[in-house]
Amino acid sequence: MNPSEQELSYSREVRSNAEDVALIRRMCDADETALGALYDRWVRSLYSLVFHLLKDADEAEDVVEETFWQAWRKASSYEPSRGAVSTWLLTIGRRRALDRLRAKGRRREESMSQSGVLADVASSAPDPLQAAEESERRSQVRAALRELPDEQRSVLELGYFQGLSQAEIADMTGQPLGTVKTRMRLAMQKLREPLSMYRESAE
Amino acid sequence: MNNLSHDEAYSELAAVALDAVSVELSVAVREHAAVCPECGPELSAMEETVAQLGQLVPQRAMNLGHGAGIRSRLVMRARGERESRSAAAPGPPDLARGVASLTGLGHKLTPGTQRAVDAEVKKALPPQKRQRSFPGGNLLALAASIAFIATAIQLARVTSDRNSLRNQVATRPAPPVPQDSANAPATEKEALIAAMAGPDVKIVPLSTKGAAGMGRVFWNRSSNDWTMVVYTMRPPKPGMTYQVWLVTDSAKISAGTFKPDSNGHAFMQAKYALDRNALKAVAVTEEPAGGMPSPTGPIVVSGSAAP
Repeated sequence: MNPSEQELSYSREVRSNAEDVALIRRMCDADETALGALYDRWVRSLYSLVFHLLKDADEAEDVVEETFWQAWRKASSYEPSRGAVSTWLLTIGRRRALDRLRAKGRRREESMSQSGVLADVASSAPDPLQAAEESERRSQVRAALRELPDEQRSVLELGYFQGLSQAEIADMTGQPLGTVKTRMRLAMQKLREPLSMYRESAE
Repeated sequence: MNNLSHDEAYSELAAVALDAVSVELSVAVREHAAVCPECGPELSAMEETVAQLGQLVPQRAMNLGHGAGIRSRLVMRARGERESRSAAAPGPPDLARGVASLTGLGHKLTPGTQRAVDAEVKKALPPQKRQRSFPGGNLLALAASIAFIATAIQLARVTSDRNSLRNQVATRPAPPVPQDSANAPATEKEALIAAMAGPDVKIVPLSTKGAAGMGRVFWNRSSNDWTMVVYTMRPPKPGMTYQVWLVTDSAKISAGTFKPDSNGHAFMQAKYALDRNALKAVAVTEEPAGGMPSPTGPIVVSGSAAP
């Protein structure tokens, strides 16, 4: 099977963290085929996330390549006790994307009223067809977010999906910094419980 | 910043998990969390929660060709790194993985034998041609042809000497087998000669537009040894490498990547079993560093295997 076919074979099957951890172990043993397998499993999620942040396909591809190369070089630093492999990968990729955004001083100029992902969550219940197409996990995340008050959801939107710092959110929204911090913390605490079922153990 | 109290660190955990604080504050909070039994697990849990948010971005497929290219580059780069480590460590070369195992290496000989090969090439090349990077033209073709003829003569002479010595040795009692490493280069040189000479060796001359005699590929069809020598090649562009392809009717098989030395010379060896009538041509293309699963760049040097 060539790489293109392998990428085409990507599906929404449940990708257990135990399998990911096994791949990381093989990478620690310098098995480059494990890197290819890990790429096949997570490239779509990672690319989607970094593209959403960067809005540039070329830059997003660069970040994807850098992220998987860092995963190869730093595989031995992955600690299963600190979270799933997917979390580790997405965190690396998101940080690299944010570094690029911040280095260029690039900011999305959308106002809060034009917010994207979470505003969709707030404004519309998923239609049956859409819900059927979404993975169960994504539906659960959407449902959990729908339960958040608007002001907390907005802070998350700006922090996670637009990569703004707390200070930048305060500047943009005119809220006191302390209020931004409190809303961000409350939002995270409220999300933890409904999403805890997806926090996978390492093995 | 390192003097954060527990309460101060705890209040920033969500923001740190979201990467929404300064680098300095993030480092300070993480240092605290690394030793705090309450903040450590809390931060991990929040990072897991943050990761769930990534599920919500619209799923978007990367351009298939780009995605395949990135995957291929990553795997080949990782393979090259592994093999570089293996090459640096003492131990026998692993030829079992076939031709692609040479990716990123280009030289499989000991430094001593490599020097001998370089010396052969330098000896054969006219002095005025040695320092020129890539002059091209008929003079180069002539010089290169002379070089190979001279090299072939050298090889034939060494082979003849070897056979003569073998005959002499065969008539004497077996001497003690030397265990020191001084004989290793000689053994390797013998293996090299065997790979490049003999009745079942097919020679594919390599040329480029406007310049013949860029090198030769020696394919020993009995032992499946492939030996390539090229010279007067310009260096590849930054971030690129040369990749060798064995072209058959149905496939283009990667035979590894290489970069010429400062004199434009390169030497590669590989072991790969191919049907004795399958080879149609050998080609060298310029590809992104690490190589590609199939050729994407322009052909720099090529040679027909037609009889």
